Amino acid sequence: MSAKAHKHHDPVGRVEDARLTTGAGTYAADWNLPGQLYAHFLRSDRAHAEIVSVDTAAALKSPGVRAVFTGADAVRAGHVKPMHTLNFPGKGGMQTRAPERPALAHGKTRFVGEALAMVVADSLSAAQDAAELVQVEYRDLPPVISPEEALAPDAPRLHDRVPGNLALEAEVGDAAAVDTAFARAAHVTQLKVEVTRVAPNPMEPRAYVASYDARGDSYTLHVCCQGITTLRRHLSAYTGVPEEKLHFEVRDVGGGFGQRTPAYPEHCTLMLAAKTTGKPVKWVSTRSEGIACDTHGRANIINGALALDESGKFLAMRLDWVNDMGSYLSPASMGHIRNTSTCMTGVYRIPALYATYRVALTSTAPVSSYRGAGRPDIAYVVERLVSQAAAEVKMDAAELRRRNLIPPGAFPYKTPTGSTYENADLPGLLEKALRLADWKGYPKRRAQSVKQGRLRGIGIATVIENTGAGQAAKDEVEIEVDATGKVTVYTMSKSQGHGHETTFATIVANALGLPLERVTLRQCAPEKQHRLQGNHTGGSRSTVGAGSVCHLAAHKLIEHGRALAALALAVEPSQVEFARGEFHTRESKRKVRLGDLAKSGPVSVVAEAKFGSTFPNGCHIAEVEVDPDTGAASIASYCAVDDIGTVINHAVVEGQLHGGVAMGAGQIFGEKVIYDRDTGQLVTGSFMDYFMPRAGLLPAIRGAEHPTPSRVSPLGVKGVGESGCTGSLPALGNAVMDALRPLGIEHLDMPLTPAKVWHAIQDAKNKK
Amino acid sequence: MAKVTIKVNGTNQTRAVEDRTLLVNFLRDELGLTGTHVGCDTSQCGCCTVHVNGRAVKSCTLLAAQANGAEVLTIEGMAKKGKLHPIQQAFSECHGLQCGFCTPGMIMATAGLLKDNANPTEEQIYKGLEGNLCRCTGYINIVKAVKRSAKLLRGKAR
Repeated sequence: MSAKAHKHHDPVGRVEDARLTTGAGTYAADWNLPGQLYAHFLRSDRAHAEIVSVDTAAALKSPGVRAVFTGADAVRAGHVKPMHTLNFPGKGGMQTRAPERPALAHGKTRFVGEALAMVVADSLSAAQDAAELVQVEYRDLPPVISPEEALAPDAPRLHDRVPGNLALEAEVGDAAAVDTAFARAAHVTQLKVEVTRVAPNPMEPRAYVASYDARGDSYTLHVCCQGITTLRRHLSAYTGVPEEKLHFEVRDVGGGFGQRTPAYPEHCTLMLAAKTTGKPVKWVSTRSEGIACDTHGRANIINGALALDESGKFLAMRLDWVNDMGSYLSPASMGHIRNTSTCMTGVYRIPALYATYRVALTSTAPVSSYRGAGRPDIAYVVERLVSQAAAEVKMDAAELRRRNLIPPGAFPYKTPTGSTYENADLPGLLEKALRLADWKGYPKRRAQSVKQGRLRGIGIATVIENTGAGQAAKDEVEIEVDATGKVTVYTMSKSQGHGHETTFATIVANALGLPLERVTLRQCAPEKQHRLQGNHTGGSRSTVGAGSVCHLAAHKLIEHGRALAALALAVEPSQVEFARGEFHTRESKRKVRLGDLAKSGPVSVVAEAKFGSTFPNGCHIAEVEVDPDTGAASIASYCAVDDIGTVINHAVVEGQLHGGVAMGAGQIFGEKVIYDRDTGQLVTGSFMDYFMPRAGLLPAIRGAEHPTPSRVSPLGVKGVGESGCTGSLPALGNAVMDALRPLGIEHLDMPLTPAKVWHAIQDAKNKK
Repeated sequence: MAKVTIKVNGTNQTRAVEDRTLLVNFLRDELGLTGTHVGCDTSQCGCCTVHVNGRAVKSCTLLAAQANGAEVLTIEGMAKKGKLHPIQQAFSECHGLQCGFCTPGMIMATAGLLKDNANPTEEQIYKGLEGNLCRCTGYINIVKAVKRSAKLLRGKAR
């Protein structure tokens, strides 16, 4: 299908907007059930300590308190073993050493913010008051915050079953081929970078209401999540409750970014409380709780080396990763590691690759997928290496890329790590971006900045990423038509702000030739949860997966309807044509509308498919200005040319890019979760201390599309949700380094805060 | 306990609440006006912005008792007779929202900002929204929506 086949609904806004602009959305904290109780968690204020005792007697006597739960209750309930997904073989066949994690800490606590006890009371204030009466006696143990220190031989051991705090050691590629290539290289560029630990911070804090039905021995959870199928699998594994006994209500979700995918200890503990008290139990996280105990993102340290020949052709790349996974393995952490090897070559022909991974456990909050889940990390290290190499061999950064891009004729392109990139026009993409950013005119702009006393830098990143594939067996979509001709589409994917109600309804409306308002999307509808399979929304997969199946389902409905219409029209199905929601035949003037098929009851079809990865790619070019007197950097311009295949809704896609680029800008210029190295105390524990991007950080993006249709998706679409992060981390990082390099500053790690940049400038001046 | 009467979206509401009840909890829990959101616990995010006596205020920064006798306007009071307020319309038209969680606060903050300055520059908009956080949009379209709102309110939009 061509892009033209889609009508664009951009100017009128999204289907969701009428609800969300008027305060009529239903987020998780907005749910209230009759007779509900309120939960409040007591959290560890130690990073590593033995829990000698937890005395709940005074709390239990506090007015309004119904129950207090501790680690012993979690262990008794069997809520001790969350599933993990690092189930690929490690080095020499090593299996992941997964620590147990009682849903309330038992015996030991391992990070500041870990839940130790939960008070359940008639009101939230009663629960909060009583939690202050719980007495915890600790015996302090030394924490370890840095993942490199955690892997050192004399580091404190955090889990009995994880020697050396090493959860997994893995490798990919061909070490010998890389050694050979490096030995004959004309130039080797080396760079050690940190992709910092950040807090995803969707604006909606986590909130759940759990209730228990004794008759069915089943649970209903009102949640904020990225789709119920993955959450249900995680939660079933953690609690031992069969999946068919778990039901969910999920309506509007206030952002996810990967952090809303996994099952958390709080889910389990609330289920336990609901079963014990026989009442619905509600918990709403505070922001500070969220920063302390929701999963963090990134947290990778990479030591990289790139080998080049005399002409600047890449020969080989070697990467050594230390992945900080925090104190426990989150159930959704696989992609965070695996995605870094899927697109390890980036957009280049690099004949030999070798990477090692050491997955470390530390006295910090668990780390999991965060917008891009490893994709921005690998793009950052590869693109920083390439720009660093260009500077070292004194070649234009765009020219070095040009010499090494995978040519269009090489697609589908099999990478040395076993991925198959389906389709791209990388040279075309690069040249379009260079024109859009006026790459040639940069020296003039730089001179202008210098005249005004400012440093200026330009940074380029040419990136590719895997999107679309999921772990579910398949994506299923049901389409139902009622007698009025109203079309309802059911998916198991779940928007957290992506606008699926608009995009997916558009796909179906276009296929059926109906106006958009006739089609309604229902996501994770309770009555379909145990009937339809599908992936959660994450990994930029939903339009590729569920969206494509919406298209297939609409066509299946047409075929199903054609047979029924043929009967009604008394002709052969081959004589029935379909257009604008109506079946007709040249044999007569009679018409059968879609709704007519449903006169004796709704008509529905289910379509299914499973798709592999699509590979969106892009070239982002940023220019920054740095004030040498303050170290403050500002974005002077940002250009993004992206190949995301066919676009269904340009406004929605542009919005995804804006958001992703801004998140990357946040990470480059300020965001970082900081723990005190000695005590493990969380230093950036609230929005008072944690840097969040604000209006004006990213003033504008000049964007262009450079589509090559996906060969994987029948719609030709590729994922877009994470592209902004993947492109912006390296583009902005390279831009700042380009501004500072003339001063003799070779490398700074993110976040490039004014203080850090100012100190680097002073140090460089003092050296001269 | 404190007996509090607040005129919310034009209607007087009287409730007896715990002294420590914040205005935002009064709106959400006592009146069921869940369009006003809570996104943080340190008064940084602005998701709970409402108007108190005509000024944009973060409703987590004052006690319900302090708002006794005040007039409060929430997001639920912005659309009139099923017709979106021009600011709501502008946010939708400019795709100035994605997940929508910060949106009620953004809209109320925008209404406050435009009351003080009917035609703000981009820099003035950045300053006016520095107390409101959004994690989805990257703010570019929010700034566009504020500009469009200003035009609509000045009656200059097409």
